Amino acid sequence: MDATPTPKENQGEPLPRIDARLKVTGQAHYPADLPSPNVAYGALATSSIARGKVTKLDLDKARAVPGLLDIVTYGDMDKVEKPKFGNSGATSIGPLHDRTIFHDGQIIALAVAETFEAGEEAAQLIRAEYDVEAPTASFDSPGTVTIPAAGKSPLFKEDVKAGDFYAAYAAAAVKVDERYSTPAQHHNPIELFSTTAFWQGDELTIHEPSQNVTGWKVELARQLKIDPAKVRIFSPFIGGAFGSKGPMTPRTAIVAIAARRLGRPVRCVVSRMQAFGTQTYRAETRHRIRIGADKDGRITAFAHEGWEVTSRPDPYVVGGTSATGRMYDYASVLTHVSLVQADRNTPGYMRSPPETPYVYALENAMDEMAVTLGMDPVEFRRINEPVTEPIGKKPFSSRSLIQCYDQAAEAFGWAKREAKVGAMREGDWLVGMGCATAIYPTAVAPCAARVRLTIDGDVRLQCGSHEIGTGVRTVAGQMASERLGVGIDRVSVEMGDSNLPPAPVSGGSISTASVCSAVLKACDAIRSKLFAAATAEGGPLAGSHNEEFDLTDGKIVAKGGASAKVEDILKTMQVGAIEEYAEFAPKGATPEALKKLYAGTPEFHGGEQDADSVKYAFGAEFVEVRINRYTLEIRVPRIVGAFAAGRIMNTRTARSQLMGGMIWGIGQALHEATEIDRRYARYVNRDLQDYLVPVNADIKDLQVILIPEVDHAVNPAGVKGLGELGNVGTAAAVASAVYHATGKRIRDLPIRIEQLLA
Amino acid sequence: MRPFVYEQPSDISDAVAIASRFTTNDDQPTRANAQFIAGGTNLADYMKLGVAEPNRLVDLNRLKDPGLRQIRVSEDGVRFGALVRMGEAADHAEIKRRYPVIADSLRLAASGQIRNMASLSGNILQRTRCEYFRETSWSCNKRVPGSGCAAIEGFNRQHAVLGGSDACIATYHGDFAQALIALDAVVHAEGSRGARKILFSKLHRQPGETPHIETDLVADEIITAIEVPALPWARRSLYLKIRDRESYAFALASAAVALDLDSDNVRDARIALGGVATVPWRARAAEQSLQGKKLDEATATAAADAAFAEAQPRQHNAFKIELGKRTLMRALLETRDMKV
Amino acid sequence: MSQPSLSSALGLSRRNFMAGTVSAAAAPLLASSAKAEAPAPSGPKLRAPVVASLRINQQAYELSLDTRTSLLDALRDHIGLTGTKKGCDHGQCGACTVLVDGKRVLSCLTFAVMNEGKDITTVEGLATSDGKLHPMQQAFIDHDAFQCGYCTPGQILSAIGCVNEGHAESEGDIREYMSGNICRCAAYPNIVAAVLQARDQTKGA
Repeated sequence: MDATPTPKENQGEPLPRIDARLKVTGQAHYPADLPSPNVAYGALATSSIARGKVTKLDLDKARAVPGLLDIVTYGDMDKVEKPKFGNSGATSIGPLHDRTIFHDGQIIALAVAETFEAGEEAAQLIRAEYDVEAPTASFDSPGTVTIPAAGKSPLFKEDVKAGDFYAAYAAAAVKVDERYSTPAQHHNPIELFSTTAFWQGDELTIHEPSQNVTGWKVELARQLKIDPAKVRIFSPFIGGAFGSKGPMTPRTAIVAIAARRLGRPVRCVVSRMQAFGTQTYRAETRHRIRIGADKDGRITAFAHEGWEVTSRPDPYVVGGTSATGRMYDYASVLTHVSLVQADRNTPGYMRSPPETPYVYALENAMDEMAVTLGMDPVEFRRINEPVTEPIGKKPFSSRSLIQCYDQAAEAFGWAKREAKVGAMREGDWLVGMGCATAIYPTAVAPCAARVRLTIDGDVRLQCGSHEIGTGVRTVAGQMASERLGVGIDRVSVEMGDSNLPPAPVSGGSISTASVCSAVLKACDAIRSKLFAAATAEGGPLAGSHNEEFDLTDGKIVAKGGASAKVEDILKTMQVGAIEEYAEFAPKGATPEALKKLYAGTPEFHGGEQDADSVKYAFGAEFVEVRINRYTLEIRVPRIVGAFAAGRIMNTRTARSQLMGGMIWGIGQALHEATEIDRRYARYVNRDLQDYLVPVNADIKDLQVILIPEVDHAVNPAGVKGLGELGNVGTAAAVASAVYHATGKRIRDLPIRIEQLLA
Repeated sequence: MRPFVYEQPSDISDAVAIASRFTTNDDQPTRANAQFIAGGTNLADYMKLGVAEPNRLVDLNRLKDPGLRQIRVSEDGVRFGALVRMGEAADHAEIKRRYPVIADSLRLAASGQIRNMASLSGNILQRTRCEYFRETSWSCNKRVPGSGCAAIEGFNRQHAVLGGSDACIATYHGDFAQALIALDAVVHAEGSRGARKILFSKLHRQPGETPHIETDLVADEIITAIEVPALPWARRSLYLKIRDRESYAFALASAAVALDLDSDNVRDARIALGGVATVPWRARAAEQSLQGKKLDEATATAAADAAFAEAQPRQHNAFKIELGKRTLMRALLETRDMKV
Repeated sequence: MSQPSLSSALGLSRRNFMAGTVSAAAAPLLASSAKAEAPAPSGPKLRAPVVASLRINQQAYELSLDTRTSLLDALRDHIGLTGTKKGCDHGQCGACTVLVDGKRVLSCLTFAVMNEGKDITTVEGLATSDGKLHPMQQAFIDHDAFQCGYCTPGQILSAIGCVNEGHAESEGDIREYMSGNICRCAAYPNIVAAVLQARDQTKGA
């Protein structure tokens, strides 16, 4: 597989990542790598129950550990505000604000010591006594409370609907009515979560991997009751995030307080086990899908009910019905999302938060309906391809789903698939093939950027976005390089610092679109100044018109061929550099949009929100599974995905992101599940030994096809974003292939040997 | 982790003497104040987790005896020095040729890095990976005798269906040990009471009422070598490991099989099972059921049924009985079909 | 409840760990007060620091360490070589892979003191002093064999070890023998392509 696909229409060059050299030489400094002279080491102690109260905390043994400096626990956080639940805050639970235990693995103390070893030793010696109450683990556990998402959670807008589902379903010639489920999952980025805090006077600096430095700055300042201008969140490289580093957790303020008490920097690197309870996760979901169709396969009725687990205090919801309710040309739609409260830590965003579980259910049901109809699953989707979406009857700003299906099917060799279940075999291996649709809403948010072009032809780009592995640092630099006519090697890009111009949270596949739109705006302002100076009286291109110019290779070039060096124009302007600070606000933004950006609560625009059209990126994925006929282990030797996501800034980084998403999808299908001991509402497999994700040997033949697509409606950069798209649909394609190989329809993820044996 | 004193003796007798000074004969090796370390892949992990709490580590890597690092293959069999690393043995040409089941079991275990670190003696002594054992906040009879077993009524998908008790159902997760028990290996040990040989099949103890007693070793005993007797027909042998993902995962079920065939008829068979039992598990009933029979799907199935006749399922691991049978059946048929 | 620093009692003075301050010629004892803690005649004492000589990337270091310090933490916290990453600290991810005497090992599962006298190579020791990348580093760039980059140093060291072990002869071998390094961004196909590209040059290197 070629890592550097040749760009097609509306696709950018596959330039290597501009931080690649740093990453292969060990010089990319992730937050816990940053030098912190005189740092003290913090280690967490966490609860071993999920519900109750801490009645006694025995700290004596911990205090006796040589090298122990301090223990932060109950009472020590009283003078700071409790955390807030929202986009910047993972939970409203202030673990040290009172002794109530809301979930397993809740922080009960932070031990701080001279060395890492002493800190760990002390934390392990902290013992709590509890008043234990019977905890509620999950669905079906006694004590759950079920509430509707609509009206109860600010994160969820509405249960979308259209037409009269009940009448249409009753009248449908062919029906599918099935239930599906997805398990709890943890992001498990390979970088451990960490916080390093240090104070210089009343100014606080935090080194912590973050997808949202501006939001955290504001939220942390609120908790600590200090001016946000005194807080700096620094996160120059992030070792994988996938949503886990979007909301700030209560630990950050606890470490900040420890550093203030001690008067020296404190670093706390959270163990992988403890991360399961102290960070967010994807909660388990359940779905009921009803599809009614006529004999020709046209969907007349579609209903999607979803249930999601959340914590007692926080109404976290993903609610993917907005996308599933608009996916196909349904004649009627009914949806309902419910939250099920249990004694669990508050869930949070995890790669393609709504779509991963909800589209899995929809696409598995679509495959079941195709089987029921006796229809090819690709054909079934083609028949139900909409002109306008069924809820608001709005057009799609662009929708290249059928092109995705056609090209992926061709590359995969779908035509060679024998439709009959169990018909394909190779030796002792049953072969199955399946497919599914990927969809992700295209959103964009306000963003600011500062760009400086110097007389030497160097460009410095500053933007408080986050390089979590997406390549945003590279594509932002690429945008500046293109617009300012300098080589990418002359562009330096600074990100991951709340002192930089603010950017929105790097989540929801909005970063490339938002950042590039702001960079574009800054660069265009620089171009305008240059063009104006060049054409001004006495300028080298006096008399020409701006719109006839291009900026390339350090020169302004007029259509007629006349040109002028940027260097010379700056000399005539008598400046050494031009610097522009741009604030981008998307179409439809409210008057407060920029203010909210600086306040760390940026508006998202796009998806289904706009009046003129709905905005989504699409893809189609095809997988081949092989299942040993004796031992039934499931492997995915081949996977093809075709995706259309508007302008592709860089085919290399785009392909890599989509590839990673597809492999995530394989993990969702076959491996990943956080197991819960239902008696105690505690996570059991809290490490990478037992929480399985795909390894190298699991992935063999993988192909990504980038379908050219032009969409000017989404945002000025024309970019749809694709960090989450590749992960959607994969699990349903695997389920479809498993059915094709075995005749067994597995509706509960992950698909494992025991389900095929049952 | 608790602090520990680090010692690096250069002679086996010194190592034994140190251990002897800081332990008693009643100490379990896994619970003693002084413990031996070689690769550290198991012990360092458990020390970090607070599961193992030695206050003295005796590093065996500085021991001078060259035999500890040698693999000697002769007509009598093979002798593995205790400090040979898993990766060396897995890649050894003569082991691959004469005992494919050994090479396979090592190659399919852990990861390249761990195989470079882990000694063979440490590998066979590796402790269970039971989640409830690994994390000290759960009750566990193996870790804290008499505290109860959280796994039996808990999430026990990876737990044992063979050899368990009401006190413990923790799986023995090793792979190499299955090959060794199938091939009648012998372990050489040296301690303050002298040197002795232990049949591999007697090395590990089923949990019974005392799951904290894991092996027959005493706290000051060092394994010095592992011997596998000559078995010319072991060239027809393999190790089949079934797991959730393709690599770097513990077995859900595994089978070590060696067959002595007269055309398709079984003259003799060696069978051991992994991933399904509390200790390395020799399936003698399955071996006997194959004696003198033509090996086909029916006899292989009968052997597999015999192997799991005593299996006891729990809530989440019941599938391991059927999977274990299928794994053994597939392993038998694949061994039969080997070109040797 | 802050107390006077116990570091001197521990023999662990605050380290100035910037790698640039450590000179090979001087091979300084990074914790100067360690000398004061002479071992008692009865043998080593609990919590007494141990002096370990490590050779890292061709440079000699003498460190005064807590016996509990893993090789990984010694590299990161005591020498300032933070290219080696902590991803799980329990041997489950491969991010901390380094070469010890040429073999790839997990630096999180070996105590630093056990590596006395060993030759250790970390990602910082791969490029030549004039900045020329090791062929494996270049191949990782060429094939975009990473995204976030966090597992990358471990992947690269593991890949070099894998080639030197003779386990990179086929794509299938590379996939299997590189499976001890988890890449959560899932750059696996690109990693395989990178190892293939750099294999022959690495053998000569």
